[in-house]
Amino acid sequence: MIDLLIIGAGLTGLFAAYRAAQAGLQVRVIAKGIGATHWHAGTVDVLGYLPGKEAAVGNWELAIPELPAAHPYQLLGVEAIQTALDAFQQLTADAGLPYERAGAPGQNHLLPSPLGVGRPVYLVPVGQRAGDLTLELPAPAGFQHRRATQVERPLVIVGLSGIRDFYPALIAENLQKQGYRVRSAMLPCSLLTKWQGHSPLQLARLLDVPAEQERFAEAVASIAVADERLGLPAVLGLHNHSRLMARLQEASGNRSIFEIPTLPPSVPGIRLYEALRARLYRLGVRIEVGMEVCGVYTEGRRIQWLETETSSRPLHHRAAKYLLASGGILGGGMRGDHSGRMTETVFDLPLTVPQDRSQWLRPLFLDSRGHPVFQGGVAVNARFQPLDASAAPVYENLWAAGAILSHTDPIRERSREGVAIATSYAAIQQLNNCSPQGV
Amino acid sequence: MYTLSLHSVGMSLDECIKCNICTSYCPVSEVTERFPGPKYAGPQSERFREIGQPHSPDTSVDYCSGCRVCNEVCPTGVRIAEVNARARAQMVAARGLSLRNRLLGRNERIGMVGSLAPGLANFALHNPISRWLAHALLGIAKHAPLPHWHQETLNDWLTRTHARRLRSAHKVVYFHGCATQYYEPFVGMAVILVLEHLGYEVIVPVQNCCGLPLLSNGEFGAAESYHRSNIARLAAYVRAGYPLLGSSTSCTLTLKEEAADLLDLDMDADSQALKFATWDIFEWLRVRLDAGTLPTDFRPLRDDGQPFILPYHAPCQFRAHRIGKPVLDVLRQIPKLILRESQARCCGIAGTYGYKAEKYQIAMNVGKELFDFVAAQGPVSLTACDSETCRWQLEHGTGVLSCHPIEVLAAAYGLYDLQARRPTLSVESEEDSPRITAV
Repeated sequence: MIDLLIIGAGLTGLFAAYRAAQAGLQVRVIAKGIGATHWHAGTVDVLGYLPGKEAAVGNWELAIPELPAAHPYQLLGVEAIQTALDAFQQLTADAGLPYERAGAPGQNHLLPSPLGVGRPVYLVPVGQRAGDLTLELPAPAGFQHRRATQVERPLVIVGLSGIRDFYPALIAENLQKQGYRVRSAMLPCSLLTKWQGHSPLQLARLLDVPAEQERFAEAVASIAVADERLGLPAVLGLHNHSRLMARLQEASGNRSIFEIPTLPPSVPGIRLYEALRARLYRLGVRIEVGMEVCGVYTEGRRIQWLETETSSRPLHHRAAKYLLASGGILGGGMRGDHSGRMTETVFDLPLTVPQDRSQWLRPLFLDSRGHPVFQGGVAVNARFQPLDASAAPVYENLWAAGAILSHTDPIRERSREGVAIATSYAAIQQLNNCSPQGV
Repeated sequence: MYTLSLHSVGMSLDECIKCNICTSYCPVSEVTERFPGPKYAGPQSERFREIGQPHSPDTSVDYCSGCRVCNEVCPTGVRIAEVNARARAQMVAARGLSLRNRLLGRNERIGMVGSLAPGLANFALHNPISRWLAHALLGIAKHAPLPHWHQETLNDWLTRTHARRLRSAHKVVYFHGCATQYYEPFVGMAVILVLEHLGYEVIVPVQNCCGLPLLSNGEFGAAESYHRSNIARLAAYVRAGYPLLGSSTSCTLTLKEEAADLLDLDMDADSQALKFATWDIFEWLRVRLDAGTLPTDFRPLRDDGQPFILPYHAPCQFRAHRIGKPVLDVLRQIPKLILRESQARCCGIAGTYGYKAEKYQIAMNVGKELFDFVAAQGPVSLTACDSETCRWQLEHGTGVLSCHPIEVLAAAYGLYDLQARRPTLSVESEEDSPRITAV
């Protein structure tokens, strides 16, 4: 029997597996499919927006007290969140995919989105760092202006003709409206491939090839003008990313070059997943995808085993402890039906989501207060154990972390990765402090 | 046309959220422009393949290898590979089937004919002129790794060693599949020796091809009659409660669910019983291991006390069972055996796909990931893989002999000579009297 079974292979599940394996636990990860890492920008967003407020958060450490009292960040406190983020930074640095902070503790970066809007981001992969809009005037309220030199560093956003869903002119125009100095340019995609319908991932794989990197670096260098920072779609290599970044800097005369994330499949997100997966492989952790939980066997308040669906009879998974990291509605941790019932998909845990469909959503899609259905989830105590109606742990050997938790709205708050990293770190700490018999 | 039962292939289509994770992992669309990827060929095109529509909207689905990696990684449970397989059948129904594909679907017939005179058949099939002719006239790739007929079929061996086979009150039924019967009877011998070592009498009933090659080539009508014939032949054993064990992972998958699901067959009592009686051999052995009833009289695979390094690839068809990797759990018990787990998606050959002239290079490019993995393990004398065509492709791509993991297990029990690929001489030379174990 293994020590810990983690359900979910997104950032939460994989980071939890890493922490647990490091702590010496025998861990396995099972998941219905590949997680949401492939859909997101590969940045670590800790807290970008507060409920009911339109303005972006400049420093999340200062904003945390304004979150609802039951928010997972309030359960943890600033110090615990920072400790978890330190561990994440250490992991990614070891994996050759370093992430950076902006400077002052809690200070967010502001990175351009593929629509030309600033995204408040805390930890930034090095490849996206130079896109920080706070390096340039005007920094919005709450953001520290981080211009290092007196030289203005305008932006040029470069697209590849033929790549779908990345429009430099649109990005430039929207940034101009916000007062930034920016222009756009295009390179022909035929530079890299004759294929039609290129996905960002295909291009990134092509750009892993050293010969392609050379040709591409030369073409990019021909576009840049002195002192411009140059933004490209996030296709700059998958496994050979840092080599290409170095080559691009060199070819363009040490100009700052950065990536802007694209629509899924998101190459920076896949890089992060691959880095975590490689680390877990070396730690001997097996990740088994394609496994959907179809049954839970319990005795009293103890989970004895889980069953997953197979091509024939259900497969049993026995572990001393279990961590639910199945994600929110998008990740598949919760499922709603036409009758208005919202269920937690693995253990059928109680949810804080209104069980009435008319209460799920507010009338305005972009309501700054968010939507109840996305704020709901599994309520936990300070030890990250899911609670029943009487506020007692549902199972003595079950913990939960990530987007499945209630009282947080990760997409609206832009706190998805922060919640994933901080709560999985804390949950592993809590469950590891417990005796093997649970509580 | 197909009915829409709950969890059916058709219903799963509506679960697609167009997230592109399948496209990120599709090993075929990564290496060829001819296949646009699972999302496009599957859920998206399927909306235009309306009931009663005679023509498929695209022919690119013919380039889907059917490896099922898309199903494995899909976070929402869409059965993309099955959608594609049905689309191919629709194309075949509308446009007919090439002689080549008709032949490749009938490897049982070919195997049987060749086994009448294996030496002659091997010469006829493997000499360069025939391979060139087969390539030019039929479109069977001249370099693809076609198998060699063995001097003795599994049935011949069973007849010859009839008196030596174990009789016991504990019985299991063995489904060997066509390749084991005609090309690799030694895999079947290893299965039978191991099962007898565990104290089980092995019943090998008359059986026919599971029908998978026909299903892959879109010949659904013929596949259905094969499958129904197997149900009829195996029903008595299955109803008597005997487990049906298989060593060919794609055969067992077809018996468990693939035939019934693709053909949308009514799950009558016998089909239901067959589904739940069928096991992959290692899936079944793992239950014994977990229960503590698997004999542990293992000896190291090398006599010199050095560790034996064995790269292991769980084929995509094996992972499609959704039973994890039981081979790793079982073989881990062998002393001094160092297992190296492949993370490659697919070897490329995908049953009959890599034998087709126009797809051979695609299959080799897909397999590169696996071949590179083997090469990265340093000098090894053997690899292990659960599926026969994958083993042949692995040997073709790496030049290293590839065996079924059951051969490794049989060798560790001292029953089997891994180098000569036959039962050890001591097992072979046992006296001809029947062994009877008290139960």
